[in-house]
Amino acid sequence: MSAGARAPHGDAAFALETAVGRLLVVGTWLAMVLVLAGVVLMLLTGVDPLAHGAIPGFDAARIPADILALRPEGFLWAGIVLIIGLPIGRVFVAGVGFLAAGDRRLGLVSLLVLLVVLVSVIAALGLEG
Amino acid sequence: MIAGLILLGGGAAAGVFGSLLGLGGGILIVPMLTLGFGLPLREAVAVSLVSVIVTSSASAAVYLQRHVANLRLGMTLELFSAIGALVGGLVAFMIAERVLAGLFAALITWVAISMARRKDPPKAPVAAGAPATATETATPNATHAADGGAQAVFAAEPVDPELVHLIDVAPAPAIAAQSFAAALSGPGYRVHRLPAGMLGSVFAGLNSALLGVGGGIIKVPVMHLVMGVPLRTSTATSNMMMGITATASAVIYLLRDEIDPFVAGPICLGVFIGASAGSRLAHRVDVRILRWLFVVVLGYTAIQMAIRALGL
Repeated sequence: MSAGARAPHGDAAFALETAVGRLLVVGTWLAMVLVLAGVVLMLLTGVDPLAHGAIPGFDAARIPADILALRPEGFLWAGIVLIIGLPIGRVFVAGVGFLAAGDRRLGLVSLLVLLVVLVSVIAALGLEG
Repeated sequence: MIAGLILLGGGAAAGVFGSLLGLGGGILIVPMLTLGFGLPLREAVAVSLVSVIVTSSASAAVYLQRHVANLRLGMTLELFSAIGALVGGLVAFMIAERVLAGLFAALITWVAISMARRKDPPKAPVAAGAPATATETATPNATHAADGGAQAVFAAEPVDPELVHLIDVAPAPAIAAQSFAAALSGPGYRVHRLPAGMLGSVFAGLNSALLGVGGGIIKVPVMHLVMGVPLRTSTATSNMMMGITATASAVIYLLRDEIDPFVAGPICLGVFIGASAGSRLAHRVDVRILRWLFVVVLGYTAIQMAIRALGL
């Protein structure tokens, strides 16, 4: 299909692809800005990424405080969480778009994809416990 | 500070070379972190998965806005690749690192052989300043050149072009498309053998979660050769699928504290910058020489990984 060609399922699908694409552009840039801030702070504070001891455990509740305190891990975790969350957001937005367009089958597929990710989270927490 | 810059540079190099050669970042980042920086294999896989998501999101953004990726097909198949990734993410914590190293050695060997067998497309004359794309001038599966920042499109993983030529001359599959498969088809092509695509996607997801790669090396041939999706659409759709596939296993690595933010940060940033630069350099570099150099590097890496796997 040539660039700019019409999407196969009409204007709704065309608009949905554009909207999802924009979400990914904005999300990727935002994530990269957060990671860049974290990397710059990491370099400035002299953290050695290959010899800093144990991996700092992920604690979502600490991220805001770490960012306010300008700790590099706060920005890095925020960026990484956004990176990992972006495809989830993409599936969610696409699923809502499919349902809004009356495509229940693809809406269900989107929901199932999100369920698989949820099972991953539950399984990881189960393994952790 | 120096280690941080080295990681940033390493990520950038992986991004540049991956973009120029049509490789995903994972195949480069995992050996770099394990053999080069001494990270445990599972930690390297975890970091690599995060960089795969960055690559996928950045490329999918462009592909979707240009309407090159098939969102409907991609979302259907990624349900199965995510299931594979979920299983792979759990299995990765149950098997010995030596086994993972052995699997990675096998994967690298396969990629090296595929790259060595790859035929060069005839060189098209490109006018100075013409907005040529990587797809048109580099490898068949290389992706489009950047048109700025996150608009940069990152490379998918390699496809054996000999198989591509075979499918180009093969008769169209005679199987009658089912209604759902028909609904996933795009302009000028019809999706065939959806169950085979689903099975291939599960395997791609498993491969991605275990080894920290995007899985395009499986998904693109399956979509193109088995399902009859055009190569460019297959590459774009595979790139889009990589994100949620990697996410399904990355959350497991994240919640099991296997992702080191101080390593993942510089690597992801480097890959993002490097892949953007690589897509701009594609027309100025003799990819043939680079590819053969890379075959040698991959061969050496495969041997090192095999040594690690065998405990020698």
